[in-house]
Amino acid sequence: MTAKEFDHKNNGSLTYKRVSDLVLAMLETPTGGWYALFAICLILLGFGAAAWFNQMWQGFGYAGKSHPIGWGSYITNFVFWVGIAHSGTLISAVLYLFRAKFRMPIYRLAEAMTVFAVMTAGLFPVIHLGRPWMSLWLFPVPNERALWPNFRSPLLWDVFAVSTYFTVSATFFFVGLVPDIAVARDRAKSWFRKTLYTITSLGWTGGHTAWKNYGAAYLLFAALATPLVVSVHSVVSWDFAMSIVPGWHATIFPPYFVAGAIFSGVAMVITLIIPLRSVFKLEELITHDHFESMCKLIMLTSGIVSYAYITEFYVAWYSNNPFERYQFWFRPFGEFKSAFWGMFFCNCVAPLTLWWRPLRRHIGYLFVLSIIINIGMWLERFNIIFTSLAREYIPAAWGGYNFSWTEIAITAGAFGWFGMWMMLFIKFFPAVAIAEIKEIMPPPRRNEDENAH
Amino acid sequence: MRANKAIVGVFSYIDDLLTAVHSVKQDNYSYRVYSPTLSHEIEDATSSEKSLARRFTLIGGILGCAAGWTLAIWMSLDWPMRVSAKDIVSLPGFFVVGYEWTILWGALATLLSILFLCRLPRFFSKPLGYDPRFSDDKFGLVIDCDQHSKINSLKELLSEAGAEEVIVVEH
Repeated sequence: MTAKEFDHKNNGSLTYKRVSDLVLAMLETPTGGWYALFAICLILLGFGAAAWFNQMWQGFGYAGKSHPIGWGSYITNFVFWVGIAHSGTLISAVLYLFRAKFRMPIYRLAEAMTVFAVMTAGLFPVIHLGRPWMSLWLFPVPNERALWPNFRSPLLWDVFAVSTYFTVSATFFFVGLVPDIAVARDRAKSWFRKTLYTITSLGWTGGHTAWKNYGAAYLLFAALATPLVVSVHSVVSWDFAMSIVPGWHATIFPPYFVAGAIFSGVAMVITLIIPLRSVFKLEELITHDHFESMCKLIMLTSGIVSYAYITEFYVAWYSNNPFERYQFWFRPFGEFKSAFWGMFFCNCVAPLTLWWRPLRRHIGYLFVLSIIINIGMWLERFNIIFTSLAREYIPAAWGGYNFSWTEIAITAGAFGWFGMWMMLFIKFFPAVAIAEIKEIMPPPRRNEDENAH
Repeated sequence: MRANKAIVGVFSYIDDLLTAVHSVKQDNYSYRVYSPTLSHEIEDATSSEKSLARRFTLIGGILGCAAGWTLAIWMSLDWPMRVSAKDIVSLPGFFVVGYEWTILWGALATLLSILFLCRLPRFFSKPLGYDPRFSDDKFGLVIDCDQHSKINSLKELLSEAGAEEVIVVEH
């Protein structure tokens, strides 16, 4: 998109000042609606926390996990939230490298979503432990502690991948925020906000050497985050694929997980950005074209995911392995068949409607569809974990699952935890990039003709 | 040692700013350009060298790669425990650790490069001549100048280039 096209699309009404005004208006004193939503998040979080403490206090029997399904809803939630995180990095880093300008108004929110989603995901392995205070043992503590971490285990790789992912995406997120916090600092009136922004902007002033080094470093961050995002969900998929459980032991898992992660993440960005846009009147910054571009990402990744689902069935048939074949009969027709068909509808069928252009530009429809996709992606992880464990090799060890209230409360609590951070973020820090939107706008000139270059 | 006095030109238009930058550069003044966003035109006008940030990332990445492999190999050799008949030093498995730490250390080194090269953090004092408008919608050109005789000519230079406001600031 050239400067002129950008100008044309926005009717030339956007100026640097207007961008600052629009974004900083989001930071004004919260209204009743904000408090109501924040309270809902806190209540959900409270339920989840209470359920977790009860589970720790009374014992692990309060979770529905039992033989043979030892990886229950907690690991499902872990994979779900790591997946949600992925599109944030895709939008902020990969699309940055591709110079896809539609990322500009949405990438900050997507990055915030990444960081908070990884924070949510990181809770689940800990909740999943019978003795969560021993979670430090996940890390490669020195051999003197007599734990002897096993570097051949995908579970240890996961610790490296997820902790790296959290650190790098949080750093990338913070670095992107610095110049925008400086704008907020220069306008802040209250003592509290002034101090907060002075500290968090690190004293950024935007001198020419600072911008030069910042631009170079930002590009390097994007270049580092891109291979990272591919590796993280690959490693998560290896938690399953490195085992010999039927339905898990598949080389298709890494690409299939990465595509699924981006699919669910873009849907989550849409779920979050639609209310944000209408509450804060950001229609000028986030236009229908942006939604259409995100829909195209959804169509692409939905296609990859659907293809992977079908390939799994083909591979099971072609392998001529009775355990594998039985597993793929069990998924659509066995005890958990509603999860399978729900997943199939939400992830493969429902997104097909986006091939019709008016629906890609219909905000209300997109909101509903994005929630459907998120449900579908939760069901996908459920489907992978539960069905495979329920039907391993020996029929005597087959079994079902009883969901407990503890798990439901903790699953809901995770949404509360995520929402709480999101709500705090949009009220205290610029949730839409200010400096980067200005970067793609034509700079103000006395001699307007030069803008075309 | 920075100068005690500076002349600040506030510009609304980037082409005016660039005109001023070019004439200031010819006279070898020490100057700073402030802008609300990254602009490649300003970058091209002010310096020709590439940023050093990539060196930081490269060194961080190499160190991280070495550290990751070392960690996995050393800890495995320190307590040799055979798991599922795999080699004690199972390189394919350790690749993940080396890969993740390459990225982790590379990213942390890049963060250091921003802090070091942009001289951050700087909580308590603003550089001489900084104006809050420069983060919003104005461009600024700040010229350090202690010599009284030159102040007037510099002020004239800035307003001729199109500065809408010219201020002299002191420490």
